[in-house]
Amino acid sequence: MTMPLDAHDDVPDEVLLVLFANGDGAAARVLTLRLTPRVVAHAYRLLGNRAEAEDVAQEAMLRLWKQARDWRPGEAKVTTWLYRVVANLCIDRQRRARGGSVALDAIPEPADGRATVDQAMQERARAEALQAALNDLPERQRQAVVLRHIEGLANPEIAGIMEITIEAVESLTSRGKRALSAALAGRQEELGYVDER
Amino acid sequence: MSMSGKQRTDDGLDGFFEAARGYAPAHSPDLLARVLADAEATQQAGPGTEPAGVPATRDGFVAHLYRLLGGWPAMAGLATAALTGIWIGTALPEGLIGTAEAAYLVDITPEMAFDLAGGDF
Repeated sequence: MTMPLDAHDDVPDEVLLVLFANGDGAAARVLTLRLTPRVVAHAYRLLGNRAEAEDVAQEAMLRLWKQARDWRPGEAKVTTWLYRVVANLCIDRQRRARGGSVALDAIPEPADGRATVDQAMQERARAEALQAALNDLPERQRQAVVLRHIEGLANPEIAGIMEITIEAVESLTSRGKRALSAALAGRQEELGYVDER
Repeated sequence: MSMSGKQRTDDGLDGFFEAARGYAPAHSPDLLARVLADAEATQQAGPGTEPAGVPATRDGFVAHLYRLLGGWPAMAGLATAALTGIWIGTALPEGLIGTAEAAYLVDITPEMAFDLAGGDF
């Protein structure tokens, strides 16, 4: 039996996954709409290439569908599981294509149409600069920084995703931020940052 | 959101992270359709379907017998024993068999005893 689409809006991912496994078509649609944008965004931030990020997102979601029937509630959050799968898929791709160029032209268009054109251009330039600097980080540092400072996850959850200790997460984010700071130091003024201290 | 007019953080990265969060990738229009098609295909495949790449379980009498005998280690032993028997039965050197042994072979392999005796029986 399939529930109406809007009836699923407040239902947790884990419950939707159980409904999906039982053949609920609306659960499939809600999970697709809810999770795919997050998955593709995370893959993009790890890869710096939108086309590859989409391939990774589709593969990660396919793995989720296949995992649904064997999902063990309470063991891991669906998003935590997906972040881990995405990271592994991205690392596999990067290792296969070591030395591949970064497609900066694939930087996405602004999602927020309310910003003025100038602000939007400046924000885009900052996002591009950060993405370019992220792409130069070692992959584990990049993953930790993205999860902590862009996805906004707490260190214990990141530790679970990366299967390392919280101290190791802190070390990776700290080193990653130092490297980013050094890489972007010369671009603060160009990108509209004004030091008022 | 501009950082102008705000005090910078120690590492000056907050504005960059904020900008990155505001630029969620605009995925291609057909991505959601592809993901949903995968979801529906997985649902329609049903609980008895193995994921792609995983071979189906063996079935039938031969497979049952195969498992009953202990799988490939037991089958390898049986095959070795059978081949050894064939070799003994067909390639045992005649020079190594004396009269007494030939007489003994009458009991266990009448055909070989017939050959060793010149085939005049």
